[in-house]
Formats: sequence, C-alpha cells, structure tokens
Amino acid sequence: MTRKKILGSHVKRLLSGVSLHGRRHLTEVETDLLQTELLLEEAIDKLTASFMAVHGAVGARQEAIERLLDGGTPTPEDRALLRSMSGEVGAHVNTAITSMQFQDMTAQLIERTLRRVAGLRDFLGTLSEHGADIAPETDSDEIVERLGKVSMALAIQSLELRSMLRRSVEQKHLESGDVELF
Amino acid sequence: MAKTILAVDDSSSLRQMVAFSLKAAGYNVVEAVDGQDGLEKAKMQAVDLVLTDQNMPKMDGLQLIRTLRTLPEYAKTPILMLTTESSDEMKTKGRAAGANGWLVKPFDPQRLIEVVKKVIG
Repeated sequence: MTRKKILGSHVKRLLSGVSLHGRRHLTEVETDLLQTELLLEEAIDKLTASFMAVHGAVGARQEAIERLLDGGTPTPEDRALLRSMSGEVGAHVNTAITSMQFQDMTAQLIERTLRRVAGLRDFLGTLSEHGADIAPETDSDEIVERLGKVSMALAIQSLELRSMLRRSVEQKHLESGDVELF
Repeated sequence: MAKTILAVDDSSSLRQMVAFSLKAAGYNVVEAVDGQDGLEKAKMQAVDLVLTDQNMPKMDGLQLIRTLRTLPEYAKTPILMLTTESSDEMKTKGRAAGANGWLVKPFDPQRLIEVVKKVIG
C-alpha cells in the first residue's frame, strides 16, 4: 500500500471512530433525556391529581365539621364521610409518595447524562490535543503513527466512559415496582 | 417495643419517604446516606431489618450486604434491597450476597409496609 493510501485509511478510521463513538454517546444522552421527560411529565400529572384530591377531601371534611359545630346532628352520611376520609386522604398521600420518587430516578438519569457529556468533552479534547501536535511539515509516516495513537486513545476513552456509567434506569412510569422475597 | 429499621439510600428525598411511611406504621427508622454510613450505624445500634439501595457512593448495596453478613450479629438479620435495578442478573447477585428480598422502585408505601410486616412482623 502506498504512503498516501495508508494515510487515507488512517484518516478514514479516525473519522469513522469519532462519528461512531460520538453518535453512540449522543444517542444514549437523547434516550436518557426523553426518559427524564416522560417521568417528569407523569410525576407532575400524578402529583397535581393527588394534591387536588387531598384538597377536595379536606374541604369536604371541613364542611362536615362546620355543620357539626353549628349544632347540626350528624347524618349517617356525615358519619360515614368522616370515617372514610382518613383512609381516603391516606390513599392520596401514598399515591403522592410513589409519584415523588421521580426525583430519585431522574437524578440518576441526569447524572448519567452529565457524565456522558463530560466524557464527550474529554473525547473532543483528546482529538484536539493530538491534532495540535501535527505540524504542517510533519511527514506522513509520523502522521500515520499519530492518527493510529489518537484512534486508539479515543476507543479506550469511549470504552472507559461506558464502563464507569451506572446502569440506565429502566422505569418509564411511576407505578409501584415488583416485589420479590427470596 | 417498636422494631428498628435501617434505611440506607443516597437520595435524601427517598430516605424521607421511606422513613415517613415506616414511622406511620409504628417502626423506628435509622437513616444512612450510603453503604459506608449504613455499616457504621448498623455497628453502633442493633437493627431488626436493613432496607438498602444498590447504587450509592462509597459503598453500594451489595457490598453493604456482603460486609454485614460477615458480622455475627447480622448473619440472620433480614435485608431487603430497594432499588431502581430490576434485572434478573442483579437480583441473582443480591440473593447470592445475602439479601432476603428485592423491591423495585418506585415503592408504594402500603405495599412496603406489608412486605416489612411479613418479614419482621
């Protein structure tokens, strides 16, 4: 193979490596951001519904109490209403607690995203550092050697980044998770 | 006398929600911010059940379980994982480390209490 062809194949390898690793990390970032959006949207919907339900239940309880304070005799409906309200409010609070756990999951997704973004910045930094070492008068053998090194450094960096990341959060909804006793 | 549960999680909001739910059911709750902190608190005070997250700084949940199982006082204490991890591979690792159960987040307070009651009464 001529020097020109060798150089060309190294440039091709470097460019395809940058493209492949860069796109792979950005796809993961995109996936994590979309999942974060899904969880946030569902959390806001559910928390709003829980808040309104608690507000409604407390309001109804207050009306029943007001009637009693005004000297009214509690009707069987009032008694049943007052007795059931603690359970009703408790159920709404439980739903809210499940929904509030979006924070734990989205925090993990955001941490992964931040690490990937930082990893990509380091990746581009490595490219820039190696590129700066190549002067216009550098001969083609040396350029080939440097391109080989930078391709290898980028591949290692990309693998290191993937291995240091926590597993992705798989939850896409805020429903109670599975329970398994061993 | 109320039973004591050690809740280990690096998310303060999650710890608060676990503590709120379990205290409402009559349990004492000791909170720890990661596996290392959980281990220290478990050594300082006897607990009836450990409820731990998996992914935490300093020491993760599996490391905490393995270390606790080497201590004679925690050889038989029930330990439950409460984590976002849901793969069979991780559950197998948890079981091998000495966990007695696996709860996937998010948790429902009522269901959590039912499980805790089933395990420690």
